[in-house]
Amino acid sequence: MATFSPIMRQLGCLKSAAKPQSLLSAQIARRSLTTVYTPKPEPVPLPTNLPESFLSQLTPRLHPANGPKKIKIYPPPPSTRAACKDPVAAVTESQLKVLDPNGERKALFDYRRSPRSVKVGDILRVTFKNGDPFSGVCLSIRLRGIDTAFLLRNELTRVGVEMWVKVFSPTVKSVEIVQRTEKRKRRARLYYMRQPRHDMRSVENIVSNYLRQKSVLAGQRRQGGQNRRQKR
Amino acid sequence: MAPRLSDRLIWPSISPWAHQLVNCNSAFIRAFGIRSLTPPNTSRFNVGTDLPVLKSTPTAALERKADTLPLRTGAIAIKKGMTAFYDAGTGKRIACTVLQLDRVEVISQKTRERHGYFAVQVGSGWKHPSNLTKSLLGHFSVNGVSPKRHIFEFRVQDENGLLSVGQAINADWFQEGQYVDARSNTKGKGFAGVMKRHGFGGQDRSHGVSLTHRSLGSAGPSQGGGSRVYPGKKMAGNMGNEQNTVQSLKVLKVDPQNGIVVVNGAVSGPKGCVVRIQDAIKKPWPKVVSASESAV
Repeated sequence: MATFSPIMRQLGCLKSAAKPQSLLSAQIARRSLTTVYTPKPEPVPLPTNLPESFLSQLTPRLHPANGPKKIKIYPPPPSTRAACKDPVAAVTESQLKVLDPNGERKALFDYRRSPRSVKVGDILRVTFKNGDPFSGVCLSIRLRGIDTAFLLRNELTRVGVEMWVKVFSPTVKSVEIVQRTEKRKRRARLYYMRQPRHDMRSVENIVSNYLRQKSVLAGQRRQGGQNRRQKR
Repeated sequence: MAPRLSDRLIWPSISPWAHQLVNCNSAFIRAFGIRSLTPPNTSRFNVGTDLPVLKSTPTAALERKADTLPLRTGAIAIKKGMTAFYDAGTGKRIACTVLQLDRVEVISQKTRERHGYFAVQVGSGWKHPSNLTKSLLGHFSVNGVSPKRHIFEFRVQDENGLLSVGQAINADWFQEGQYVDARSNTKGKGFAGVMKRHGFGGQDRSHGVSLTHRSLGSAGPSQGGGSRVYPGKKMAGNMGNEQNTVQSLKVLKVDPQNGIVVVNGAVSGPKGCVVRIQDAIKKPWPKVVSASESAV
């Protein structure tokens, strides 16, 4: 391998200096096209107010009539989405108007808003369209619009029985409050009452007492010419 | 060696240029282009007008579909959620799905002559023009409708089912008591294993099974010969977010003011998904009288 000494480099510089000028210029002329810079030609502007007779000489792209087309955008029709933001609520409302026209049932179970409503721990008696009554202690109230329901617990033939009742169901004829809870319960769902320690067992005695008193009162009222309306 | 012409062409009975001379208005003019000098052969195949329709033609396809294609177009709706109805007679609770039609309009028609089948292109909602491609904007503009968010096609049986472009489809397009098919994408479940996706049994909890309690068994051999995995083998993969059709849902309630259609039962997909509803193909078609009334 030959060592490149500074003396040799100087000699090389001399060699290029000794080259004739004509050879150098020839090299520049032989540069490839890509390295030569050519500025982009400026587009020649069309003459303004060009007579129509000359338009045929232009390419179709440059005709004044063939400019970029404006796309017409049509306005949308009135929106039903804006008219009814919450269709599920609207459908539920229309159903409730039919099932509960006075809003009595809704008020009876809306424990968040109405103070006189049913509370958990109350003993309720429900009568159905087919005539079967069911009574029990209310363990839970589920507020879900049209699916509002409550859970009753009782004991039949010494076996614990629970029943979910839909408040707005047409099969429910009436709901009566037999006995209110003495103390406000500090739970929303009294599932602890399923445990043997807290189980209330049968509420039949309380209900039958209530029915007896009610019939007595109804008898007095009827004698007094009044009609006690059943609470719905 | 120069190519040789056949004897018939070397001494033709008529001029060889006679094919290129077309008799037009009793004056011979010369036709251009490359043309065969020999007349076309008669086909060796069975050709004629009274032959049965071939099975792989659009005509045969339309004939096959004639009984299962609805007479009328459907509509694009948005699933809004579920609620319940109580049956007036029995007092039974009926779960239902609330759908809303929002600015549903006919965008264009597909015809047998141009596209090979009859269909109505329907759009719904509204989309800001700056969010649309120029080609779509041009499509809406040409047909004279506002830019739509959702576009779908509804196939119909024949040209009687085609609606005029720009016609609005309201909720009263459907009647209470009729049946519809609801077509929508199911909820996406992501990458799911075989037990969830295909209902496989999985493997034992114990008895020496290690790390493969929820995986499939053998995928390869002894499935009918050949030691390979057949195409279509059920494996883990993406589940859900695929189109599903729920057939024959009863329309319980229609509210044209708010564009609400309430159908019985559940419809695939999450709240806010696009649902395409059309007359049920497995029930008798609804009375066409009201359809023409609403069309007027």
